[in-house]
Amino acid sequence: MDAEAGGSPATVRLAFPPEPRLLGTVRLVVGTVARKAGMGAEGIEDLKVAVSETCAVAVGDLHRAGRQDPIEIDLLEGPDRFGIEVRDRAPAADQIPGGPGDGEVDDRSLGLALVGALVDDLKTATLEGGGNRTSFWLRRGPEPPDPLPPPLT
Amino acid sequence: MDLDLNVRKEGDHSVLEVAGEIDVYTAPKLREQLIELVSDGSYDIVVDLEKVDFLDSTGLGVLVGGLKRVRNHDGSLQLVCTQEKILKIFRITGLTKVFPIHSSVGDAISAPAT
Repeated sequence: MDAEAGGSPATVRLAFPPEPRLLGTVRLVVGTVARKAGMGAEGIEDLKVAVSETCAVAVGDLHRAGRQDPIEIDLLEGPDRFGIEVRDRAPAADQIPGGPGDGEVDDRSLGLALVGALVDDLKTATLEGGGNRTSFWLRRGPEPPDPLPPPLT
Repeated sequence: MDLDLNVRKEGDHSVLEVAGEIDVYTAPKLREQLIELVSDGSYDIVVDLEKVDFLDSTGLGVLVGGLKRVRNHDGSLQLVCTQEKILKIFRITGLTKVFPIHSSVGDAISAPAT
């Protein structure tokens, strides 16, 4: 899923500076657009968690790298599903001094694992010139009958 | 977006009522409150999440950190939550095996120590 490479055009495109206080606004926008696109309540909550976790990782990496490059988000409305693509210009995590988190729990790994458990077709790629592209989709309408995925631990 | 915290004593327990969204921006406030409670000698804590609208992995990390702190004093940290969207986060991460999760503050307080 790459809107700029000829994929689905973005329904909404937003960009925001890597400030943790703005994640609530991002969730609000994602929730509103997904609802208008016909996503169910559970799907909307899953998308909000997934996009917030993805952006939180990018915000943390950019902060630790001392960078202020904006994070870009495309919200994509497919025929029967809703997609999100997040792009950031953060260096690779192993090239950022200081390491993630405050040592209590590895929030970064936990957050990315949460995203993988909540959404479909999760893809991550490195951007040319540095940075990351993360994309995922969720089916629109009724949830499939499958039970919850098994716990991560 | 904000996070409101309210602490009250119920018997031997400290009940921390949390309202709002717990994410990477607001979680430090919750972490500080839990650290303060333990520093003040509250080792049996009930965290009431019934008014929480959003919880992410940073919030989970803070709660795990709080649990470690009270366990260092042979204490307990129990949660109150009936919201499916929040319970789902605990289930996916396997933390339902780590935290006792109750449907009311009364149930949490009367639960036997684990």
